[in-house]
This record gives sequence, structure tokens and C-alpha cells, in this order.
Amino acid sequence: MDRLLTLPVAMALLLSGEFGTADEPSRYRLELGADLSYVDTNGYPSWAEGSAGKLRYDSDSDGLMLSQAYADYSLRLADTLDMHTVALLYSDDIGSTVDFSEAYLEWRPMTLTENRYRLKLGAFYPRVSLENTGPGWSSPYTISSSATNTWIAEEFRTFGTEFSISRKPEFLGGSHTLSLQAAAFYLNDPAGTLLSWKGWSDMQDPYLAPFREIDNRVGYYVNGEWVVGTRFLLRIMHYDNRADPESYEDGQFGWRTKFDHVGLQATLPGDVGLIAQWMEGSTVWGWYYQGVRAVDADFYSGFLLLTKSLDRHRLSVRYDLFDVSENDTYPLDENSEYGEAWTFAYQYRASDFATLAVEWLQIETYRDAWEYFGLEDEKTESQLQISLRLSFSSGT
Amino acid sequence: MRSWQALPLVTAAVWLPALLLPLANEAVASSVEVSVVDRDAKPVAGVAVYWRLPDGERQVAISGTTAVMDQVDTRFVPHVLVVQTGTSVQFPNSDTVAHHVYSFSHPNQFKLPIYKGDAHPPVTFVESGLVILGCNIHDNMLGYILVVDTPVFGITDENGKAQLTTGDSDGELVIWSPRIRDGEEALVKALVPTGNAAQQVDFRLGKALRPAFDEKTEALAWTGY
Repeated sequence: MDRLLTLPVAMALLLSGEFGTADEPSRYRLELGADLSYVDTNGYPSWAEGSAGKLRYDSDSDGLMLSQAYADYSLRLADTLDMHTVALLYSDDIGSTVDFSEAYLEWRPMTLTENRYRLKLGAFYPRVSLENTGPGWSSPYTISSSATNTWIAEEFRTFGTEFSISRKPEFLGGSHTLSLQAAAFYLNDPAGTLLSWKGWSDMQDPYLAPFREIDNRVGYYVNGEWVVGTRFLLRIMHYDNRADPESYEDGQFGWRTKFDHVGLQATLPGDVGLIAQWMEGSTVWGWYYQGVRAVDADFYSGFLLLTKSLDRHRLSVRYDLFDVSENDTYPLDENSEYGEAWTFAYQYRASDFATLAVEWLQIETYRDAWEYFGLEDEKTESQLQISLRLSFSSGT
Repeated sequence: MRSWQALPLVTAAVWLPALLLPLANEAVASSVEVSVVDRDAKPVAGVAVYWRLPDGERQVAISGTTAVMDQVDTRFVPHVLVVQTGTSVQFPNSDTVAHHVYSFSHPNQFKLPIYKGDAHPPVTFVESGLVILGCNIHDNMLGYILVVDTPVFGITDENGKAQLTTGDSDGELVIWSPRIRDGEEALVKALVPTGNAAQQVDFRLGKALRPAFDEKTEALAWTGY
């Protein structure tokens, strides 16, 4: 989150939580997790080292490491007012970093009406991912997130407010919920930089600063959601950061990024879970040159995930698709790419505190710009990751 | 030794009919088996069934009657609870997380404070009607308490059947479930007592049921999205 907050703030928050008695709930909830990973990679040097690879790790970093840790902390300030903060620690070839990924207040007024109202204020992810429902934006299904949600995690954060109105299920026949969210935000003008210059990838990059306000234009998204019990969920969003593509400040450019997103989650017969997301949009930057802007790219990405849980075991498979097509004509700045990825993951929940995961990921990418590095423009990269997640929670 | 052990049984055999006799004299009990099936003739479980007294007569529960609506795995258990008017319902919390239970159903509106365990006195429902429960912390929690002016009620089992023992006056049998979409007329049947002879009353629904709310599935995470 661009180091908006620092670790001492987190420690102060942790110490402020009171411990409750047996019946009186404590006013906080803390979830901690750490991933010990063994990684074996076969591909280009990692993008995290400023190179071309799609994967977060490369063969230099093969071996055992503490790859990620999170602290997800909620504090109840009043009966209907909560504060949420999520701190993440990342380690890879270029070192470790601790950063806040989300920090916001949520007001949940208790209204005796047919509608439910919610208000968020602060820094939070837009309502896109159906994968990253665990604490610290982790996925209950796989170790690596899809290209779509990785990009959301990297470049999108809503510094602003989201208002949500939903119809209570009992007024829609018992199991249906309809809700509508509208958000207004600041500080997301550089969104789109990474996608154009690096392309899609598998893990968040903690070293970028996509959260800046350059042109003082407020962005927005609107999202509609339909949920049927624990059987079906559909969400549709339109996002527009309304950035001025000719704006520039302190080495950061404004990227006008718009997209539409459709997410679907369903429980299929045989208790097989399905998640599908599709996102399509465009990003433009710079002045006009020969009738188009310096960078003018259309993108789409999507994935389909199937998952099955049996007692302590879970098997998941995901197919990813991603594409950037450039319309601009600047020479030596070819940012188009197309790729597909397969992910196979197995998890074993050994106890409430320990989960073992094995994941194999293969990405096949076509990217013209790789020729500038003297590389083949078509490359298949693969990664085997074995991970032990230790997790702990306390409070209510 | 054997005859000594059998003694209490013999005593009970003498005493029990004597104890039950005054009840039988007061009101001729009529045994009714209610069956609810959907439009495909499949049994419907979890349907509330109660006996509505004639002429709007109300029978309020004796003081001290209690019932329990628990919270387990961020669900209300049971999903549908039927109680007689005047019953005090306890809302324990069997989860490790806190809940913030409320009802906005007129005239039985209430808000409980945020709590874990069994921290506060029960809620007494003095008016009949449907009470819809929610939790302000867990938006997807939903439960129902049906408060009825009669002590004669039940819930259909997995075979779609419930056994009631009604009084000796004319009345109506009423069924209710959040899953049923049929109109009022399909949910009420007149019941004329037949003395001690058992009766069978069948309800066959005409419209498709709404999906069951509290199907538990492990396939996907449905909270926090």
C-alpha cells in the first residue's frame, strides 16, 4: 500500500485489543499466517528482479524460504463500527518487505428495514476477487492467485469509500440476496502501468507505487451482486479510474484504466465448487502520436477454477487466460502479449494450525517485447511449490 | 432379587393410567398425522405445522415455558423454531465468534447486544406472528421463529410427517415454511375432531419449493467475499 502505514502502527493496534471474558466477546480478532515454501522454478529470471519472467521466483531462489506472512487484524470500535487492517510480508530474491495491503473502517448500521446498508472508508481492494477470501487475501484453493486477481492485488486499491445496499434475503424468498455497491476513490491513477510494461503475472509486486493521485480526478466503480444461499453467486462490475492520461507527477504517469468484470461462483452437483471470473478493458497513457496515444492497450483476462474438498483434503485445478493487445504505433515499445496457464493444487489440512499445499503451475506466454532482451517471444515456464502454512487466530 | 427389581415397573403400570385419566377427561385428545408433500409428491421436511383454535381463541403458554434458538457454525439452529405465545426463547451462542442477533419483525422486534456464549436473559414473545432473525455481523445468517397461539404444533420430519394431538373442538391445521410459495388457501385445512380415532391430513403443494436455505456445503468459501 505504498507504505502508507508502518509496522509501529500495527503493533499499537495489536496492543489496543482487550481480551474478553467467556461470554463477553473481545473487541478484536487477529489472524496470523506464515508460509514456508520450497520452490523449484523453470523459466526466465523473475520479473521481481526486473526481468522478463512471469513467475515471482526464478531458479536462483529455488529452495526453502519464508515466502509470505500476513497479519489480519479487526478491532470493534463500537457495536456497528469495525476497523480492519491487513499487513503482509513478502520475501523473494530481492529481499523482504512488510506493508499494509488494506486499512479501512466499516460501518454496519443495524436498521430494522428491508434493506441492509454498509459503508467502507479507507484503503481496500475493489470487489473483484472470488478467490482471495481467506485472511490476508490468501486463497483457500491454491497458493498462487490467478493472473486476474494478482493484477487486482498489485495495481488496485480503493482509497475512498464504498457504499453498499442489499435487500435482505427474507424479502426475496428466503435464500436470494441482491446488492449494489458504488465506490468513489482517489489515488489509483497509475493503475495499468504494470499490465502494459510487465504483462500478467502470478504474484503481487510489493515494489510499485500505483497508489497516487496525479490529476485530482475521482475514480469510481459500481458493482451488482446476486447470491442464492451457498449455491450461486454472480457479480458484475464497471470500473473507471477516470485518470487523465496526459498527467504526470514525480515520475508517475496517469493511466486511464477502465474495465468490466463478471464473476461467477457456484456449487455444482457432487459438491464441486466452480469459480469463474472474466475481465475486459483498456488502459491508455500519454499524448497523441499519429492519432493514438503513446500507450493504448486493450486487455482481457479470465480463469475457471474447479475445486473439491473431502474431509481434510482439497484438490483444485485452474485454467487462466490473459491478453494485452496494443493499438499504439510507438516503435520499440511493443507491449502486447497472450498467455495461458494451468495450475494444479492439492491441500492437506493437518490441523487448525497447519496446512500443507503442493502446487504445480505452468504458464505459456507469447510476448513480442521479449525479443528486445534477446529472448524467444514464446516461452513456457513452470513452477513447483510445496508450502506449509501455519496459521493462528484469536479474539472474536 | 428379580421380583424386587420388577416392583417399580408394576407400580408405574398402576399409577400412570391414573395420572393420565384427568387429562383425558378434560379434553378428548385427537391424534392427527400431518403429511406434507411437494408437487412431485416428495415429502417436505422442516415444515411448521400447528393447530389454529376456532374463533381466534388464544392459548398462552404457562409462565416458565422455554425454548432454544442456538447459533452454530454461523447458522441459526434450528432454522425454523415454533413456539407458543408467551414462551421465553434463549439465544445461546455455540460459536467461538460473537453474534449480534436482531429481529425487525413487527411486533416482535428486538436487538441483542454483541455476545458470545449465553450472556443475557431470554426473549419472551408475547405476541404471535413470524419472527425473522438476522445477525448484523454475519449477513448471511437467517432464522425464523413462528410464534403461535396454541400449544399444539410440530415440525415435519424427513418423511414429511408430523404428529399432533389436538383438542376436541373444531379448528384448523396450518402449515408454514420459508420454502413454500403456495398461497394461504393451500396451507390451511379445517379439522373436525373424531374423538379418539386417529386422523390423517395431507397437504400437497402446487408450486415448486424455494431452495433450502441452510444447505451446508464445503465446496467453496461463502463468507468474506
